Amino acid sequence: MKRRQYLIGALSLAVAFVVFVIPFIFVFLNAAKTAAESATLDFSWPREWRFWQNLVEVVQARDYMLLLAYFNSTVITVGAIALMVVSGAMVGYLLQRRRTPWNRIIYGFVLAGLIIPPAVVPTIWLLQQIGLFKSITGMIFIQCAYGLGFTVLLYRAFIATIPRDLDEAAIIDGAKPWQVFFKVILPLLKPVTVTVIVVQSITIFNDFTHPLYYLPGAENVTVQLTLYNFQSQFVSQMNLLFMNILLVTVPPLIVFVFFNRQIVAGMTSGAVKG
Amino acid sequence: MARVVLNDIRKSFGAVEVIKGIDLTIEDGEFCVFVGPSGCGKSTLLRIISGLEEQTSGGIEIGGRDVSLAEPAERGIAMVFQSYALYPHLTVRENIGFGLSLARRPKAEIAAAVKKVAETLQLTPLLDRKPKALSGGQRQRVAIGRAIVRDPGVFLFDEPLSNLDAALRAQMRIELTELHAKLGATMIYVTHDQVEAMTMADKIVVLNGGRIEQVGTPMELYEHPATPFVAGFIGSPTMNLYEGKVARQMGCDTYGIRPEHLTLSSDEGRWQGRVRHVERLGADSIVHLDVPDLGPLVARTTGDARIAPGEALWARPQEGREFRYGAV
Amino acid sequence: MNLPTGRQAGSAPSHGRGSTAATQAPAKRRGSPYPYWFVLPAGAIFGIFFLAPTLASFYFALTAWDLFSIRFIGFDNFVQFFREPFLMQGLVNTLLFASITSAAKTVLGLLIAVLLTSGIFAQGLLRSIVFFPVLVSTIGIGLMFAELMHPTEGAINLALAAIGIDGPGWLTNPSLALFSVAMVDIWRGVGLATLIYIAGLSTIAQDYYEAARIDGATRWQQFWRVTVPLVRPATTTVVILSLIGGLRLFDLIWAMTRGGPGFSSDVLASVIYKQYQAGFYGLSTAGNVILFLLIGLIILPLAWWFNRKEVEQ
Repeated sequence: MKRRQYLIGALSLAVAFVVFVIPFIFVFLNAAKTAAESATLDFSWPREWRFWQNLVEVVQARDYMLLLAYFNSTVITVGAIALMVVSGAMVGYLLQRRRTPWNRIIYGFVLAGLIIPPAVVPTIWLLQQIGLFKSITGMIFIQCAYGLGFTVLLYRAFIATIPRDLDEAAIIDGAKPWQVFFKVILPLLKPVTVTVIVVQSITIFNDFTHPLYYLPGAENVTVQLTLYNFQSQFVSQMNLLFMNILLVTVPPLIVFVFFNRQIVAGMTSGAVKG
Repeated sequence: MARVVLNDIRKSFGAVEVIKGIDLTIEDGEFCVFVGPSGCGKSTLLRIISGLEEQTSGGIEIGGRDVSLAEPAERGIAMVFQSYALYPHLTVRENIGFGLSLARRPKAEIAAAVKKVAETLQLTPLLDRKPKALSGGQRQRVAIGRAIVRDPGVFLFDEPLSNLDAALRAQMRIELTELHAKLGATMIYVTHDQVEAMTMADKIVVLNGGRIEQVGTPMELYEHPATPFVAGFIGSPTMNLYEGKVARQMGCDTYGIRPEHLTLSSDEGRWQGRVRHVERLGADSIVHLDVPDLGPLVARTTGDARIAPGEALWARPQEGREFRYGAV
Repeated sequence: MNLPTGRQAGSAPSHGRGSTAATQAPAKRRGSPYPYWFVLPAGAIFGIFFLAPTLASFYFALTAWDLFSIRFIGFDNFVQFFREPFLMQGLVNTLLFASITSAAKTVLGLLIAVLLTSGIFAQGLLRSIVFFPVLVSTIGIGLMFAELMHPTEGAINLALAAIGIDGPGWLTNPSLALFSVAMVDIWRGVGLATLIYIAGLSTIAQDYYEAARIDGATRWQQFWRVTVPLVRPATTTVVILSLIGGLRLFDLIWAMTRGGPGFSSDVLASVIYKQYQAGFYGLSTAGNVILFLLIGLIILPLAWWFNRKEVEQ
């Protein structure tokens, strides 16, 4: 039995290596090659290691556009998540604690936000009307709106585990409703907040579709947009394209290493309850 | 100072009326226990007094003030929850001082108040711990401390001892009684445990099905239970109660006799039965008899009584200790 | 003190001190400790940036709308959508893509999850390896596979050539392109399905398997009679999440084929983008409305059906 599990494991590892790891190694090797060598798309060891030079070249391309993109993506991610956490937790709290017919309606909107794809052209029209088209601010609100459904559901499920006695003790201690939430409940939401932050930051950072629609133009590019735009520019410089892919893959890898547990918790939250 | 008056309190959840008109006065400084089986409305009534639940109709007066519609924090009450409801992210010090800090009292005043309460309850060495690092009994004391620091006219306890083990529960009963003597505040205490009610209360309110069955001192309820329900609820082991034909033969609808008011004898008595089982408690023995024409009968006798299962025994009710309800 | 109503509580004659103080009684009804304004911040953001455009789309879908003008034309956009073969193709492709990918993710996800909970060697490492692509930028994955699937120089075909197989033009062959993208989507998403199934499997008490073994069930019977029925909530989640993802998918297609060659791998989401780029805003929005009607029509009955099944159990 022991031996068999060992064998199956080793075999699975070999298959997983070929299927899932080799593509990334391919990217890594090509990112270290010269332009000429990477053009052949060989799966081979670089004859000449140009890893660092390629990295510098990608970062410097188009006036350090990649750095600008990292900055923009970070601002959007941080802004949207800050809004999402506070406003989403409040809704999750209300939904869990107060049982009224209105809840069903609010819950319906939450699910709609999770399921329905956004209506892009009318959204662009609306952003133009309120002067937020092509703006980072607009993008922050958009990402917040799109992530709220997930956030609310996660908070609602977690708040169900916080005994209502705590709210009531605080009420008797003289806390106003907002004090009950901000002083008693919110501090207790730390574990699920970490999950929301981690999962949503990966989602928003990796989002390509929405910046493509709502942030056209060079001044407000995001990381995924630059990656896509570089594709046409680097047609003769595959090594730089691969370097760029590598650079975009690194942040989620780091997050994964440190927050594995929270990611798993967030991504599987629906599995048990359905 | 903090007399509590309830006037025709009613409460419905949807179509279901759970509190069916309660009139009650709890005097200042009284230790009043609401007791009854689960679902009798005792916790709901407590929550209505606290203001956490709003009555459907009826009025509440605390310390001479109509608080029927007042916020919980404005009623001059404090509450100790069954789960203690300590804020997990705050230390003991912060837990006790939470209400005062919400009221934006000066830091020095809060610190002094917390210190005083901690000394009263011997919590001083625990002040910087989080609730997680406390034992059940310590948590219980912190919950009480959080109530005391508010200096309320009325303390409300919602089954506060039910999460403790038997030994600790006995100890806390004594501590609470002493605390009541020391503070002199009005205390309203909800429990389903008649032992807690009997040992701690100045006044017991027996609730059943959303109504008051009887109000009285522990001994009044024990000696003069007004209804068969109270008779069966107060006292341990429970009173022997008979209805139907057996009761009618004795001239009433319900006949009751407490186990401790039966005298057992091997040769004479009112009923003869066979011993089915003997519970040895040490100081006492509880004897379960099967009496033809009557049914099971439980009697209490001394611990060293030499009685064995299968034996035939006579039982005689003591003079003046029989209860007859609905006597014709 | 049997007073008819509580409002007169303070005036009960027997309570001397009470009757005077009670006149200051507060008259207003108390507010809930959970006031509705808690939804306002989220509600405003969600309402303005998601709900309003979604509702507006039902109007814009009925207009001929471009850079310069907007004109109400009724259902013409929808008629055009179902008449134009290349638009229809997008609709068919969307359904095809979503069904293939969710079926594959569900089946593979469950099998891999069973494998990775059976206590084999390097189980934790394997879970991480399978899951990691879920977190990687879709565009990055798309561009990477576009190169790996290059018909003549791509590593996949080179590897096939080494064992004597003449690999196809994965992305250049019109009848294959959509399926190639679907394979990449499965590669990318199976880790999430696996993860959800692992979470679902971990909630099944070992007792069931022990009871089944005592009853003489084979491993195969254990899988079908114990595992499959009891991971049902996870299956619901996996099927619904992958269907929603599959129906909405845009970025992977765009990075790999841009809907090509021709319109052979176009899906609704890429049609919407193309029409938007071409300035046919009304038509693009009509596509959007079709997309969320499609999603609603598929997901809602499915979710309802799954839920009912669960209640029946």
